[in-house]
Amino acid sequence: MFGYVTPYKSELKIREYNLFRAYYCGLCKTMGNEYNQLVRMGLNYDLSFLSLLLSSLEEEQDHVNIEKCIAHPISKRMVVEDNESLRYTSSISIMLIYFKFLDDWKDDKSFKALIANIPFSQAIKKAERENPVKFKIIRARLEELSVLEDKKCDEIDEVADVFGKLMEEIASPDFITDEETRRILKFLGYNLGRWIYILDAFDDMEDDIKSKNYNPLLLQYKYKSGEDIELFTQKVKISIESSLTFTLENISKSFELLDLKHNKEIIENIIYLGMRNKMETIFSNKGGQDIEKSI
Amino acid sequence: MKNPYEVLEVREGSSPEEIKAAYKKLVKKYHPDQYANNPLSDLAQEKIKEINEAYDSLTKNKSYNSSQSQRSQQNQSYQQSNSGQYSSGTVEYSEIRRNIDINNINSAEQMLDRIINRDAEWNYLKGVVSLKKGWYDQAFRYMTVATSLDPTNMEYRNTLNSLNVRNNAYRDQGDYRGYNQKTSFCNVCGSLLIADCCCECMGGDLISCC
Repeated sequence: MFGYVTPYKSELKIREYNLFRAYYCGLCKTMGNEYNQLVRMGLNYDLSFLSLLLSSLEEEQDHVNIEKCIAHPISKRMVVEDNESLRYTSSISIMLIYFKFLDDWKDDKSFKALIANIPFSQAIKKAERENPVKFKIIRARLEELSVLEDKKCDEIDEVADVFGKLMEEIASPDFITDEETRRILKFLGYNLGRWIYILDAFDDMEDDIKSKNYNPLLLQYKYKSGEDIELFTQKVKISIESSLTFTLENISKSFELLDLKHNKEIIENIIYLGMRNKMETIFSNKGGQDIEKSI
Repeated sequence: MKNPYEVLEVREGSSPEEIKAAYKKLVKKYHPDQYANNPLSDLAQEKIKEINEAYDSLTKNKSYNSSQSQRSQQNQSYQQSNSGQYSSGTVEYSEIRRNIDINNINSAEQMLDRIINRDAEWNYLKGVVSLKKGWYDQAFRYMTVATSLDPTNMEYRNTLNSLNVRNNAYRDQGDYRGYNQKTSFCNVCGSLLIADCCCECMGGDLISCC
């Protein structure tokens, strides 16, 4: 996925920052332990946010260990010990990456994607065994998405809706049994998916113009070849800014209804500051350099 | 029942003023207006109920009555804003509105799509349907068309405004938590220089070297 869901570091306490990182490392370690070392390259921030959110709903406190890591051989790092939500999100990560590489291979016949998928061929079987229902739904949603892409759908809401429904499913695992909480998580997940999809489409506009790839925003706002990219981007930005902010607003409204047992400050920071910052940076930095790729 | 102090997010033994301030803040946060057209609005209402009960239990002997009346005022204002929705429209539109009200979004949308004459009301209802579906980009577009086709209609205008108000409320939350405060030192210098200019205009001086 994309990695747009990160905290706003300058307003985070060191303790909170460390815990967010410990979750990121925890997800990575869990993927390594549950599957294999190579799948760890599929790690991303969006799902480590989700694992943090889901485990904050449980009464049990996080167990943090100081461990060595192959990606950072010199210094030891804080790592959250694996728990139900980390195991769940690691299996979901495997599915998303597996399908992504498969899709890249179908689309571009990219050998890189085919080779990259090798470590996942065994892992995906285990991931499917662990969450068979989610596996089926994720596959179905992604197929729906590629159907819309193939027929060049020109409504951003319609395409983002499918991705929203995918995230809605991911955000409501079976181990969360309280019906109200599940409803809230689904709505939060829907808006999260929608936000990620639209922001990514906006972020990719320039590349997609150059490589003539499908992008619903280019179709919806009728980009004509040769049109000034910067002016066009500006036009799209003005139009989607309200709708994207409102998507964040709905995420925050769902979050306020959740009964979090701990880590409320970090999640608040991500929702009210981090995601807004990511969006505004992408809006203002068009054509600029990459922002905060790694933490 | 939950611990009322926990519900109101205050320490035990807080002063009545602190409790009242916390209560007001929470009521504002979960107010029905904030959750209009949100599928979780019933949960927000439950939350309000819980907050009211907690507040009542902490203030029972002193200002129970006043909080009761405050509450009924809030309910009233909510009902007022709701009742406005039935003011106008043909038979077909009122049927669509009824479907929207009972969250039968699919039927409402199918009926809308069959209508050929797409006037302001049509655009407004299409906007509400989009809003309920989570298709906010379309929602903003249809609402804007509705208000431009019929600029005098307060219902259309209020709904569109309320979306913008909620976006601003979201941003306020972030600003309050310290979003974009990196320029505070420059602001101080800037303000001093401006103050200096003002003083000089008036014949005085704040910074003697410039």
